Amino acid sequence: MIPMIPDALRAFSFAMLQAAGLLALAPLLKTAIKKMKARLQNRQGPPLLQGYYDLAKLLRKEPVRSETASWVFVAGPRVYFGAAVAATTLVPVLVAAAPLEAAGGILLLVGTLALGRFALATAALDTGSAFGGMGASRDMTIAALAEPALLLGLFTSALAAGSLNVGGLVRSVLQHGVTFHPSDLLAFAGLFIIVIAETGRIPVDNPATHLELTMIHEAMVLEYAGPDLALVEWASAVKELLYLTLLVDLFMPAGIATSAAPVAIAVALAAWAVKVFLLAIAVTLTESTNAKLRLFRVPELVSISLGLAFLALAIRFL
Amino acid sequence: MLQLVGVGVQAAVVIRLVTIAATLVLARWVRTCRYVALGGSILASAVTVSAAIQVLVAGRSLDGVLFRHATSGIVLSYSVTPLSAWFLMVFGLIAVPVAVYSVGYFAHSIAPSRMAAVGSGFNVMLGSVELVFVAGDVITFLLAWELMTLATAALVATEHEERASRRAGYLYLVMSHVGTGCLVAGFLTLAAASGSLSLSALLAGHLVSGVTRDGVFVLFFVGFGVKAGVIPFHVWLPEAHPAAPSSISALMSAVLITAGIYGLFRVCAFGLGIPAVSWGLTFMGLGTLSAILGVLYALTQSDLKRLLAYSTIENAGIIVLGLGAAMLALAYGRTELATLAAAASLAHVLNHAVFKGLLFLGAGSVVMGTGTRQLEQYGGLLRRMPWTGLFFLVGAMAIAGLPLLNGFVSEWLTFQALLLGFSSTPGFIRLNYPLSAAMLALTSALAAACFVKVFGISFLALPRSTAAADAHEAPPVMLAPQALLAALCIGLGLFPGVMLRALSGVLASLPGLQPADRLGWGSAGMMSPVGSFDHVVPAIFGVALMGAVVAAGVLAARTGLAIRRVPTWGCGGELSARTEYTATAFSKPLMMIFRAVYRPTRQVEALAEVSPYFPHEVRYRSEIEPTFERYVYGPLLRGVLRVANGMKVLQAGSLHTYLAYVLALVVLLLLWLGGTA
Repeated sequence: MIPMIPDALRAFSFAMLQAAGLLALAPLLKTAIKKMKARLQNRQGPPLLQGYYDLAKLLRKEPVRSETASWVFVAGPRVYFGAAVAATTLVPVLVAAAPLEAAGGILLLVGTLALGRFALATAALDTGSAFGGMGASRDMTIAALAEPALLLGLFTSALAAGSLNVGGLVRSVLQHGVTFHPSDLLAFAGLFIIVIAETGRIPVDNPATHLELTMIHEAMVLEYAGPDLALVEWASAVKELLYLTLLVDLFMPAGIATSAAPVAIAVALAAWAVKVFLLAIAVTLTESTNAKLRLFRVPELVSISLGLAFLALAIRFL
Repeated sequence: MLQLVGVGVQAAVVIRLVTIAATLVLARWVRTCRYVALGGSILASAVTVSAAIQVLVAGRSLDGVLFRHATSGIVLSYSVTPLSAWFLMVFGLIAVPVAVYSVGYFAHSIAPSRMAAVGSGFNVMLGSVELVFVAGDVITFLLAWELMTLATAALVATEHEERASRRAGYLYLVMSHVGTGCLVAGFLTLAAASGSLSLSALLAGHLVSGVTRDGVFVLFFVGFGVKAGVIPFHVWLPEAHPAAPSSISALMSAVLITAGIYGLFRVCAFGLGIPAVSWGLTFMGLGTLSAILGVLYALTQSDLKRLLAYSTIENAGIIVLGLGAAMLALAYGRTELATLAAAASLAHVLNHAVFKGLLFLGAGSVVMGTGTRQLEQYGGLLRRMPWTGLFFLVGAMAIAGLPLLNGFVSEWLTFQALLLGFSSTPGFIRLNYPLSAAMLALTSALAAACFVKVFGISFLALPRSTAAADAHEAPPVMLAPQALLAALCIGLGLFPGVMLRALSGVLASLPGLQPADRLGWGSAGMMSPVGSFDHVVPAIFGVALMGAVVAAGVLAARTGLAIRRVPTWGCGGELSARTEYTATAFSKPLMMIFRAVYRPTRQVEALAEVSPYFPHEVRYRSEIEPTFERYVYGPLLRGVLRVANGMKVLQAGSLHTYLAYVLALVVLLLLWLGGTA
């Protein structure tokens, strides 16, 4: 049953190609959201390529590390980056099949992202700074609350499609024809909230904050500099793109290529870019029209999402 | 070939007995005594495991007589079923490393005068657990069960000068005996119906029906539930685990708990006929409750071993949740689903034993190296204890259910069972599955938060006390077993198919289930038994992840510039252990969010002389309410005491009164017997 060697080689090269593509586009998404946000505030905003400049600059810098830190501090960003990149291989982007579909589905995907978070949160405790601990504690808290809502939302789609494998799920939806069911709306709303929470966006976390006491993700990575910081930033961007792609796959897969024909791929690329861009606008609007919630109000937001997921499940199957 | 199994079982018992005798005889030569006790234990456990593996391979059970006393007619028999072989294998995988570890640990942590007692207690406990798994009749089973309880209680109270240890031992003893009482009552009811004492006859499943069956189920559930540590029968667990020496705690968590689980499997789920729907729901409900409350309580603990004990309750909950799903599926006649859920539950028995054994051994090394169990006194241990830290990290990641490690495997199976349950169960009961799934997701995410805290606060940053600053690494004899268990965590995580293949025969032997052939996907993968719902091959993904991590390393090292080491920014002040984040602070947000569960109380006292704004001393005290102790066991205890107080009148201390009782009883008996004649 294990795929033969040529198959495995093909799958791995496909995986590398897709991961490289997402890596290349992720900084653009991040800057695009920043830019749109700035325009909504009547500011000019950074140039669209600013994300790349930042990464290039950080990667060129001298690595600076704390005296108190051990190898865990070094391993943290690398595992976080590795997990985010490896997770992309489980999600179909342009073709209705994930490169490493044979490896696993939604549970493995969520587990991998949890692995990255575990590594980074542990590493944050390594420098002895109170901010690292604060960030790690808050990040793990929010992640713990978000996980049930995230999985339940994903399960709703998976049960409707009859597959817990993202590739299989997309193909099943395409096969049965893209239909609309009211529960989709609820499930989408629930998952969108979780995506906002997991990617550290307002109203849960503020990616642009400079006040340490209100930081969550930024506090966790406060002690990183140079290439280490570049890895963290890049991985976070990839993670965001990955979550948006996942939403696209689950709720609006129309347009994705079902064959490797160049025309189909080109159409799929355009469709994917447009859909991700629309979601990016939604993220921007959410960020611009909401105020950051107090940490202890976040559970309420997350329980709304959990409730929506339950409702979606109930409407769909009862 | 199977004949050898019988020889193995008998040989293991004989080796144990000889070892115990030799340990007691050699009490004066402490070193020799220790080597003999632990060497004998390793040998006996290894013999048991090899016998168990033969049964697993053969896939059928073997019965025989262990001991026969012709004059009195006492016969102790054994019966190694595939199910008991699975538990024996789990037992051996932990018992052997723990014994090796104890060679180093006992030398440092057990007073020489107690070596013989602890050494023989160690063997009695392990021998009786073996006997519980292989017992073929009720007498052997109850004998072994009681021996196991007594040996464990004695070991818990090893340091009996301390009041806490005595109290923990006593609590354990009392709760276990309530449980044993329930078991005796349950077995007597079954025996009265069958007229036989052999377990296979008693557990054929057709002896009792209706209300009696439900009553017997409740009795067994309480009896085994106490040992398994299922909420609400868990209160002994967080007391007993920290009190016992660390290697004993590892055995208690990994082996003793599984004895309770074994009982739940053998009797409650597969020994009383097709389970009722309400049984399955009870198991799922209490399993979920144990999982979520176990991890929530674990999160706020600052005593390392107490924290691990609560996390044991969490994992027992996950095991019982899987078993409950299997029972519910059996009640609805869904063979495939029942098989999947039972496989998830049995897989988690093994996985939990491996990572919890590892974590307790690591905790033992840390406690030995620092002399304290308080997380707030640790810090920076990774520098002083690099190997212990590495192995502990593997265990922490495994228990958090992260992919490529074994905890993920059984959680994956449990999720599959819950999802499949949802799509194949009729009516409103099906909503129970996604609810449990959401709770399981919350549990595993909270476990991740909990173990980030444990590892981060203990092993990273600056030492918070001189004890942590002067900690010393454990000797190789204590590290090797941890290395082995850590390797098992990784191995089982990467090749789950191997475990599923071993489980296949076990599942096939249970009534109402089918072989799990369709669960395994080669030796590296697992798949959902229905259609192409889901599958996972961790090894393939491991390659991708490794590749990506290496790529990250290369990318970051591209500059080739030397690394500059600078002090951490201390916000303008000096960075010291006092400015670090603490374990209490780490879990504070979750404590605030789940305050309905914890009901925390907080006392802050600022002592000031000049002005209240400049306190020279601040006293802080924070406590979470022990809900079950206060609201369940408190009233229960008071009720029992009140009844006992009332009965005191009967036991007045006067010999005349007692003689009068005897007379009255004789008269009553005569009347009764005369009446029936």
